Amino acid sequence: MPLSIRSLTKHVNMAACKTENGSERKLEFFLKVPFPSEREATIALQSLSPDPEPRKGGITKNLDLSGQTLRWTADEARILRVSVSSFLDHLSLVMETMDAFGPPVSQ
Amino acid sequence: MPVVIGFEGSANKIGVGIIRDGEVLSNPRRTYITPPGQGFLPGETAKHHRGVILTVLQEALDEAGLKAADIDCVAYTKGPGMGAPLVTVAIVARTVAQLWGKPLLGVNHCIGHIEMGRLITNAQNPTVLYVSGGNTQVIAYSERRYRIFGETIDIAVGNCLDRLARVIKISNDPSPGYNIEQMAKKGNKYIELPYTVKGMDVSFSGILSYIEETLFAMLVEITERAMAHCGSQEVLIVGGVGCNLRLQEMMGVMCKERGARLFATDERFCIDNGVMIAQAGWEMFRSGHVTELSDSWITQRYRTDEVEVTWRD
Repeated sequence: MPLSIRSLTKHVNMAACKTENGSERKLEFFLKVPFPSEREATIALQSLSPDPEPRKGGITKNLDLSGQTLRWTADEARILRVSVSSFLDHLSLVMETMDAFGPPVSQ
Repeated sequence: MPVVIGFEGSANKIGVGIIRDGEVLSNPRRTYITPPGQGFLPGETAKHHRGVILTVLQEALDEAGLKAADIDCVAYTKGPGMGAPLVTVAIVARTVAQLWGKPLLGVNHCIGHIEMGRLITNAQNPTVLYVSGGNTQVIAYSERRYRIFGETIDIAVGNCLDRLARVIKISNDPSPGYNIEQMAKKGNKYIELPYTVKGMDVSFSGILSYIEETLFAMLVEITERAMAHCGSQEVLIVGGVGCNLRLQEMMGVMCKERGARLFATDERFCIDNGVMIAQAGWEMFRSGHVTELSDSWITQRYRTDEVEVTWRD
């Protein structure tokens, strides 16, 4: 079942909060991404996780398949915004590719 | 008879090509062209590629008359190049590889140029001059590595020409280098300018206003020096700047003086394209290489001599 970016954003839960961590204040962001099947979720995860973040410091991103929840921590709002925005663009590309060239072959 | 599909998008060209046993089945390509006076930036370039890549992929399959099931291996450019465009293309390659259940292969862009040049020209063991907007290297094969004999110590020769084009606002359509070449053909006054060769290496950053003669003469000199070192009787020019007929002419004069042969390809294969990645992927696949998904990260820096060339003796 094809999954468009519009239907995705209806289901996405996003939260951003500031937490105090000693003397540092880090920004956190959570994104829950539903997929039609576990297989498609795995394909997306494996396509999106290998590349390093462009900036060496300032951001960590954890892609966790089991809860389908992604977690970012960043020092600056701007870095966080760019990283999340980039991720959503890339995720949308994965989904368009799956729509056009899927469904996945049986394993 | 493996069939390999290759994805290339490390600079402003996005190409997808399919090859089967040395036969090019399709090689469609699109170029992101900016207005005169402007270069191309990573974010915008990635956006351009993202907008057309799936169309170009379908074109590649349609022109080759193939379906996904006919493909044996998915090759893509691991690096070097611009980060954002590299990621965009790698993401699609990884996704189709998984959708189709095919192995993935990360290819070095420079080696893509070399292997395509070798296939098309049938040069046996040439000294290679790789010249483009992003790279300038003199390369010779030795013991399972493409050794970098000499290179630019600052910017690529194509970058130098592109910046000249920007300063004097020459059109970027079809490419700034092509338009410089057409204008240079009409020139008849040669101005002597500083010529910077340091042993095997060259420097271009101080000479942005220079004309082709000087830049190309420098490249001919370092190629000749590498040939002398290796006792080579063949030269192969690859990379976008390799389309330039004046460069080919000047290299031809040097080769003739040495009794060597000159090889070059036309704009289909000099300029970045998908099938060159497929061809290098084909060689790598046949000699047993495969890239695991977790190792398939792209990299902006990837030297030609980092790859173990297991497919040559």
